[in-house]
Amino acid sequence: MKMLVVEDEQGLAESISAYLSREGYRCEMAVTYAEADEKMYLYEYDCVIVDLTLPGGDGLQLIETLKKRTASTGIIIISARNALEDRIKGLEVGSDDYLTKPFHLSELNARVKSLIRRRNFGGHNEIQYREILVQVQARKVFVNQQETVLSRKEYDLLLYFLANIDVALTKASIAEHLWGDHIDSADSLDMVYSHIKNLRRKLVEKGSGDYIRSIYGIGYKFGTA
Amino acid sequence: MRLLEKTNRIYLLFSVILYLATALAFYGIIKWLIYDEVENRLLVEKRDFQLYIQHYGWTANSYFVENKIEVELGRVPAGFQESFKDTLIEDRYTQKLVPFRQLTFYESIKGVEHRVAIRKSMIQSYRLMEAITFTMATVLALLLAGTYWFQDRLSGRIWQPFYETLSRIKQFDLVRGQHLQLDQPDIIEFKELNEVLQKMSDQILHDYLNLKEFTENASHELQTPLALITAKVEELIQSEHLTEKQTRWIQTIYEASLRMSRLYQGLLLLAKIENRQFANEQPINLSDQLLERLWDMEELLQHKGIRLHTAVEAPFWANLPPVLAENLVTNLVSNALRHNVPQGEIRLRSTDSALCLSNTGHPLQNDPNDLFSRFKKQGGSSESVGLGLSIVKEICDNYGLQIRYAEIGGIHEFCITKKKVDE
Repeated sequence: MKMLVVEDEQGLAESISAYLSREGYRCEMAVTYAEADEKMYLYEYDCVIVDLTLPGGDGLQLIETLKKRTASTGIIIISARNALEDRIKGLEVGSDDYLTKPFHLSELNARVKSLIRRRNFGGHNEIQYREILVQVQARKVFVNQQETVLSRKEYDLLLYFLANIDVALTKASIAEHLWGDHIDSADSLDMVYSHIKNLRRKLVEKGSGDYIRSIYGIGYKFGTA
Repeated sequence: MRLLEKTNRIYLLFSVILYLATALAFYGIIKWLIYDEVENRLLVEKRDFQLYIQHYGWTANSYFVENKIEVELGRVPAGFQESFKDTLIEDRYTQKLVPFRQLTFYESIKGVEHRVAIRKSMIQSYRLMEAITFTMATVLALLLAGTYWFQDRLSGRIWQPFYETLSRIKQFDLVRGQHLQLDQPDIIEFKELNEVLQKMSDQILHDYLNLKEFTENASHELQTPLALITAKVEELIQSEHLTEKQTRWIQTIYEASLRMSRLYQGLLLLAKIENRQFANEQPINLSDQLLERLWDMEELLQHKGIRLHTAVEAPFWANLPPVLAENLVTNLVSNALRHNVPQGEIRLRSTDSALCLSNTGHPLQNDPNDLFSRFKKQGGSSESVGLGLSIVKEICDNYGLQIRYAEIGGIHEFCITKKKVDE
């Protein structure tokens, strides 16, 4: 999978590519409009992550040109502009998703994965992690071929974990993923805890390994490492 | 009361008083003049009479003009003073009472004391007085009415540029970003007024646009470094070799940056609402939105053991941009949840005129008046940035809604009603 990160803030671009590289994507960076335009013209990418305010031009225009050339590329906008008009405009010119800065890298990663899944398999796909199988279209989860009934939030939580395997996830990023940006109360962190407890119990009951580990002071990690 | 109405009224009152005073003074002066003339005549006649009787003595018929001179026997009473007086005497032919001016004095005719009254008929003088007074009163009244009418029309025309300016200012809307266009009237004061207003409005518009631009730029410029911080922290926590202390530091940095981001977004939102930078107002069923939001928080409700009671008699509709409607209900619900107690309650009550959300909770420690102020946090909870209710209030204020808070027996209730249209 080839990705292009178009972001004028060098440090942020580096963080994003480092994070996505660990997921096995090949990441390239562009820090100006011209550079991004050139790269998009020369190479083909599976997914492009674009900041809207760029030196030398507007990210929206970049997306428009890209859409005309190769319609199959997935596009995610990352912008500090939170205005609804910007979101709508972004989606109108053909972007697939819109993330407002600041965002969690794990959230971006989950969105990228979900986008690639949608693009490549039209949603008719499955995620397999060891004995856990998720049928994304049907929103069904199987452990060792037995169906495990999860609540909506538990399912979302599992998918979020599966998108970020072996990555330390902060409680705040989990809470925001499940309830949206506006969740900021201490209770949400308790809720994260109780959801994780339930998810873990349901998976282990069906015979899955116990993959969720809590990391002191930070959050949780899903995986074997 | 309008300015012209006010000046007209004062003018009218003043001129009526002046008119009455002039009319009275006029009448008085004419009357005095006529009396003076008549009395002088009477004094002259008295001297004529005295000269006459010295030479000829008095016989009853020596002066036949009716009621002209009356001579009777009579002694001078003590303390008598010669005086004029008005009297009425019956006309011999028409039997009408006719006004006379009369001078009474005592004269000795051939050694015998007589009381003498010399009279002059006032009937002609009275008529003259009436005619003059009436003419003057009419002319004055006409003059008065004329001036009043003229002044009314004139000031209406003179003040017209002022009213024009006023109506232009009323139509002036910052959000549209158009400059205020004012005329250049001939009158210097109005011209100056327009120039000053023009300058002021241009400055305001300029500042407004600057501020708007600033909020937009600041949003971008501050969110980006924040994004950088969170991204780097997230990278950092992936490393395996952190000590417990380091983890705690990192966590603090992370939380602080998240809070800062929320804080900034909240302030930005407030500024944008104040500047009315949200378009696309539309009727929104707030009751439905609020219910939806509450159901969204189902897990949290369950987790805290909070019971939800809803009583929607009729939906509450309000006109506002959808983004703000969402913000409004989210903040209300967060507030009701945050300050709730375990095993508490949340009640939603909706009619077509009021939407109320109440929750159980600890008694308020702060002044209820500060509830909607920025950064007034209840119980020092550091989790919230203390902007939620300010945002709610700002949205309500800007979109014709009113929010009220009441506490009854440990139940905190927020009610949204429509502002009465009497602006």
